Amino acid sequence: GSRLCVHHLLAVALRLNTERDDTMKTALVLLLAAFVAVASATECDQLTRLKVKGQWQRAYSVGSDREHFGQALWRALFAQAPDARRLFGRVGGDDTNSAKFKAHSSRVLAGFDIAINMLDQPEALEAELAHLKHQHDERNIPMNYYNVFKIALGHVLPAQLGRCYDKEAWKACFDVIANGIHG
Amino acid sequence: MFRLAVLLGLVAFCVAKTPVDHCCSADDRHKVMKQWEGLWHDTESSKVKIAFGRRLLLKVVADHPEAKALFNAVDVEHPEGGKFSAHCMRVMNAFDMIVNLLDDPDALDSALDHLARQHEVREGVKKAYILDLFRTLRVALPKMIDDYDGISWKSCFSGVFAKMTSRLHE
Repeated sequence: GSRLCVHHLLAVALRLNTERDDTMKTALVLLLAAFVAVASATECDQLTRLKVKGQWQRAYSVGSDREHFGQALWRALFAQAPDARRLFGRVGGDDTNSAKFKAHSSRVLAGFDIAINMLDQPEALEAELAHLKHQHDERNIPMNYYNVFKIALGHVLPAQLGRCYDKEAWKACFDVIANGIHG
Repeated sequence: MFRLAVLLGLVAFCVAKTPVDHCCSADDRHKVMKQWEGLWHDTESSKVKIAFGRRLLLKVVADHPEAKALFNAVDVEHPEGGKFSAHCMRVMNAFDMIVNLLDDPDALDSALDHLARQHEVREGVKKAYILDLFRTLRVALPKMIDDYDGISWKSCFSGVFAKMTSRLHE
């Protein structure tokens, strides 16, 4: 639907002459841009994937900033689903400040980092999601925990990125990854 | 003169602690972290990471042909394919994780212990393979990093690799 609309608008915009239709033309171009934005943000298409990759790289950061980012993410996660801690008993889940848990957080985020970075490399993405699925299968993680993770990300990403955070893009592309791991 | 004596004393103290050089000072760590970070600014950096990892792993396989079978599950026969590419990314990201934990020694120890156990259970993995990977890395890094500080890298990573391989056979 929206693609047809975009083409139609483009055709109209091109047909308008420069004479006195400048305002009209600007309005159409703006409308067109809005349509493109809506059309590309609602699905995890190629451009959205690149956007998510870029935003992730900035949010993920390095060194102690990365550790703090991870801690914020887990706190947001456990605050929503305190019972999820039981899944992390072996890796110090009762204390997110412990060295053991910080190391675990680094591993999880490193795995997530791979999935995000593979978003624009379909073959490698498929292989990585299969690998992560295999690692998670035996743990019987309920689907709603993936949702909790998504909501937690939705809190900490904008805190890192400010206005640059694109909620819709993340929603769409996160689902590609979560479905691949849980699927 | 006194300062020089103290400095020489410190140097002697560091050297004496071989073979695992413990002198991965705050300055060393920050140099390593900064130089490593400088490699991955681009959105496409995962592709560079994969290419880098592929070279490292294939070099290990070339030097130790018997190690090739260890990578059968990740389709080493098709090094350009998705499976092997994803694996190269995993190896490089483990490395990335280590570098980014350098400032948190306790968490770093825990992460290295986990890596050591992950390699311990893979039958046939030898210490020599991972140390070879380390050597290749030390040859490759200065080609990619303009202001590469070899002493900082060596002092931080000889300890890291010693811990990583602590559960493996020679």
